[in-house]
Amino acid sequence: MKEVKVEVIGPDPPCRRCQAAKWAAEKAAEKLKQAGIMVNIEKANIMSKETIQKYGVLVSPAIAINGTVKIMGRVPSPVEVEKLIMEVVK
Amino acid sequence: MEEKTKRAIRAGVILAFIVVVIGLLIYSRIVAYSMAPQSKPVDLRPLPLWEIPIVYLIDYFSHGTICLLFAFTVAGLIYEFVPKEAITKYMGSSKAVGYGLALAMAPFLTVCSCTMVPLFGGVLYAGAGIGPAITFFLMAPASNILTILLTGEMISWEVAGVRIIASAATALAAGIILSKTPWGKAVEKEYQIANAASAKVEIVKPPLDERLWAALKFAGYLAKQILPFFILGLIVVSYVEAFLPEDIVGTYLTGFAGILIASVLGGPLYTPTLVEVVLGKAMWDLGMSKGALLSWLMGQPYDVANAMAVSRIVKWKVVVTYFIIAWAGSVTFGLLYGMLSGSL
Repeated sequence: MKEVKVEVIGPDPPCRRCQAAKWAAEKAAEKLKQAGIMVNIEKANIMSKETIQKYGVLVSPAIAINGTVKIMGRVPSPVEVEKLIMEVVK
Repeated sequence: MEEKTKRAIRAGVILAFIVVVIGLLIYSRIVAYSMAPQSKPVDLRPLPLWEIPIVYLIDYFSHGTICLLFAFTVAGLIYEFVPKEAITKYMGSSKAVGYGLALAMAPFLTVCSCTMVPLFGGVLYAGAGIGPAITFFLMAPASNILTILLTGEMISWEVAGVRIIASAATALAAGIILSKTPWGKAVEKEYQIANAASAKVEIVKPPLDERLWAALKFAGYLAKQILPFFILGLIVVSYVEAFLPEDIVGTYLTGFAGILIASVLGGPLYTPTLVEVVLGKAMWDLGMSKGALLSWLMGQPYDVANAMAVSRIVKWKVVVTYFIIAWAGSVTFGLLYGMLSGSL
């Protein structure tokens, strides 16, 4: 079984658009589970030193897959997140 | 139908909608149709209490809808299409670039408060330091795209222009001065990260139709966030317009004292986004001077809500310093503008 780490990066407490982004990631994860891909979703705080050290300045909401920021400043659809994860896994 | 054709049609429909919205605004300009409500205090005063806000709201929306629609659509589009990754990459590179980007980009990236505080923190941590961060933070609410469009359409483009310049100058001054103070430097030292990464960012761009749709969705999101407060604000404004006597405005909101009062009222008195424009317009109609109007409008960045948000990141000394500088800027530019425009 393949494993993918998805980080949803936003402010803490989360804003509504970041919650929407997280929801999209969760939906995508559900679907990918059936395809045999484990998606671990984590929430990263956009204001923490660790996040900035890792990714630099971001516009929220952002989504990083396996340590690479793929989406920044917008809310993706579940299908889009799914596609992005599939590309990374391949 | 092929996927490609479908996408092209979808993009075409959304683009047509955008063109219509822009066209409507241009058309209303050509026929000199006013975007501001036309009610005068005399019309509102005789009405029963419950009817005043209704008449005023109908009046406002029959005139202002095109402007609001345009402002939200444009804000959504700009937010979606501005190359965010390019900006954030350079924001931390050097002081000068940091200041420049903070001034230039704040209006476009910050229509949503949920991006503003993170960006402030990001700029502070990632290298540009406290100066550009503060500049960004002051510039953002003072002249974001929604506010400027509404100021321009409802009050006048002259005031909107002056507002941008005055806010930029004040924000820049606040940033530079703060970065020189010992407590500003302390914050910078505490938060600076030696080599914040800018790598590992590979932004994926979705197809045009999805981006356009996302832009409109964001516009809708903004409207949903802002309009409820805006309407509440308008109800208050309707009573102000109806019952605030002209001689009180004439006495207290003109001259040097008027600027002082307007600048103090404009800040701590928290007005929801965009309401300050309508309220300013109402008081201007009642006789407030142009200088006081500018001071009033410039009060937005140092209101209490903003200060609270930022004080979670930096020490109160920094907050107080930028409060004072922003306030001083509001008074100074109010005076200058009042004198230059002959309306003090």
